[in-house]
Amino acid sequence: MELQDIYYSSAEYIETASGNKVSRQSVLCGSQNIVINGKSIVMTDCVIRGDLANVRIGRFCVVSKRAVIRPAFKKFSKGVAFFPLHIGDHVFIGEDSIVNAAQVGSFVHIGKNCVIGRRSVLKDCCAIADNTVLPPETVVPPFTIFSGSPGKVNGELPECTQDLMTDVTSSFYQHFRPHGKGK
Amino acid sequence: MTSLTKMATFMDVNLVRYLCTCGKRLPPCRLYLCRHCLKLRCADCVQHEVDSPYCPNCLENMPASEAKLKKNRCSNCFDCPICGHTLMTRATSQMVPSSEDPSKSTPKKMYYMACSFCRWTTRDGGLADQSTSNGGWKDEENPEAKRINTLLESYRSIAQREKAEKERKKYVKRRSHAGFQDRYGLTSVAMKWKIQPAMSNLSVKETEKVPPAPELVSPVEDFDPLPSEIFSDIVQLDKVTYLSHRLNAPEFQPPATKDLRPVHKHLLVRRSLRCRECDHNLSKPDFNPLSIKFKIQLIALNHIPEIRIMAPATFSVNKETVVTFTLSNPSVYSTVVKLLPIEGDTDLDYMTAKVDLPKSDLVLALHDDTAVYDDGTKAQQEFKDDPRVVVFRRANKLGFAAKVTPFCKEGEVKVSFMMKHEFRNTAAAIQSEDKEPKLEWLEHRIFINLGRIQL
Repeated sequence: MELQDIYYSSAEYIETASGNKVSRQSVLCGSQNIVINGKSIVMTDCVIRGDLANVRIGRFCVVSKRAVIRPAFKKFSKGVAFFPLHIGDHVFIGEDSIVNAAQVGSFVHIGKNCVIGRRSVLKDCCAIADNTVLPPETVVPPFTIFSGSPGKVNGELPECTQDLMTDVTSSFYQHFRPHGKGK
Repeated sequence: MTSLTKMATFMDVNLVRYLCTCGKRLPPCRLYLCRHCLKLRCADCVQHEVDSPYCPNCLENMPASEAKLKKNRCSNCFDCPICGHTLMTRATSQMVPSSEDPSKSTPKKMYYMACSFCRWTTRDGGLADQSTSNGGWKDEENPEAKRINTLLESYRSIAQREKAEKERKKYVKRRSHAGFQDRYGLTSVAMKWKIQPAMSNLSVKETEKVPPAPELVSPVEDFDPLPSEIFSDIVQLDKVTYLSHRLNAPEFQPPATKDLRPVHKHLLVRRSLRCRECDHNLSKPDFNPLSIKFKIQLIALNHIPEIRIMAPATFSVNKETVVTFTLSNPSVYSTVVKLLPIEGDTDLDYMTAKVDLPKSDLVLALHDDTAVYDDGTKAQQEFKDDPRVVVFRRANKLGFAAKVTPFCKEGEVKVSFMMKHEFRNTAAAIQSEDKEPKLEWLEHRIFINLGRIQL
């Protein structure tokens, strides 16, 4: 099934010159440390904690409603240090998920209501099923699906995951339209 | 499995399925197109080959022979015996007596492993902390190791003997057909005896020694009665392991939680797929387990036109509903697609509705990576489409309308039809060095689940 149009009120979202659509109702802490590369969507009630460390989000990413993106920290003998968080291109983050990872590759699908534990590493082309809890420092290799609590390998993705995710995120961007404004 | 395949794409890919040559119905992202047989294949009807086993945690890959030696487990990474999450190394400092002056003690860094999910540590298992950060954890020896090894050895020699015998029989048979069977009045049995001495240097000598049969295990005849404490003592469930904990370590099966040990992490494999008929590779991933590139990747989705449902529709019994489908062309050549109804097949399993397909050919524009940057005004002029059939056209995609009339009273609305399309075989073109790739017509059966009938 093709994706259906999702309408938003044009007053609620800010569209940047590079095509990012960011909700005014989202919380972007330390916005000078947040880089969103273009054509990405940040929806209502999202939190991106740029005040902790740099956050870089690639192109064609979708951060769904109420998701939290927060750079990970590590305890050292002298206090804690936060690590910058890089999210690749064509990444879909589902509603209510908390991403506390050190790295999220490209073409990654994170389902709804997930917890991605501190300093987890999500490689390219992987998926996290809905309601998964990934414990801290989990490594998710390419072409695997993690599910459950604690998250474990539970399946394999098809070889064409890259094409599928590219198609999904770019058509999601196309179908995410303002209403009210006749465009 | 259905929810997981859906996960992969966010869209429900399982609504439209193609019939694989082996008879399974799968979405095109799970199918492969063999360029040499020009047939669809799925993961169940191809040959899987292990390319490189790798550890899912440290992502180190190794040759298959080494993995076999390590029992397909990583030597450095451990899983928690309770919850199965990867254990993390933690550092602490311990006071140890100084080497120079035994009366003084100096801090020394010691390491143990802990699970960050369920908080189990190697100290809970009664294991002493290690002085090196990377392992040094000793594996307990399997109590049955000796017995298993003797069994393995004797079976291996039996197998060897049988193999040699089989080869010898083959040889004898061939010789017996050479034409001198009864010339000397020998029966075939006697002749075998004649031939055997000549063969002896080949195989008989090695197999003459019959391997000693492994020692038989005497059956257990009676058990000691249960100790009386088992009836009187209070069961401490928190100290007893679950069945899943025991099965995690089949060689020890610890009954008490204090006997749990870290489990070596299982390896995953990267594998390539091969067509069983023509032995060509259908999928060959890069050697590095981190890479998402492929040397060979013949996914059906990248070679045959893909049909999708444009939007959900509502259906009622015997009432015509117009459904819009989209067709997209993955090929770099423009492609003609014909949709043909299936006649005389009324299996309610996969057909619960009549579908009126477009009678005319549908011409799909070529797939162009730069098309995303065009505004799409040009394409409409090139094709003379019937507006009643082709609803829209954008880049390599078009939408076509079809009338669907369900003839079942309730349940799911399912349709099935044939799709015939042009395919330019670039594989054949390379061999014959033609300029224009050879044109073939491929035919696939398609099954679509459109939704439920409204009551």
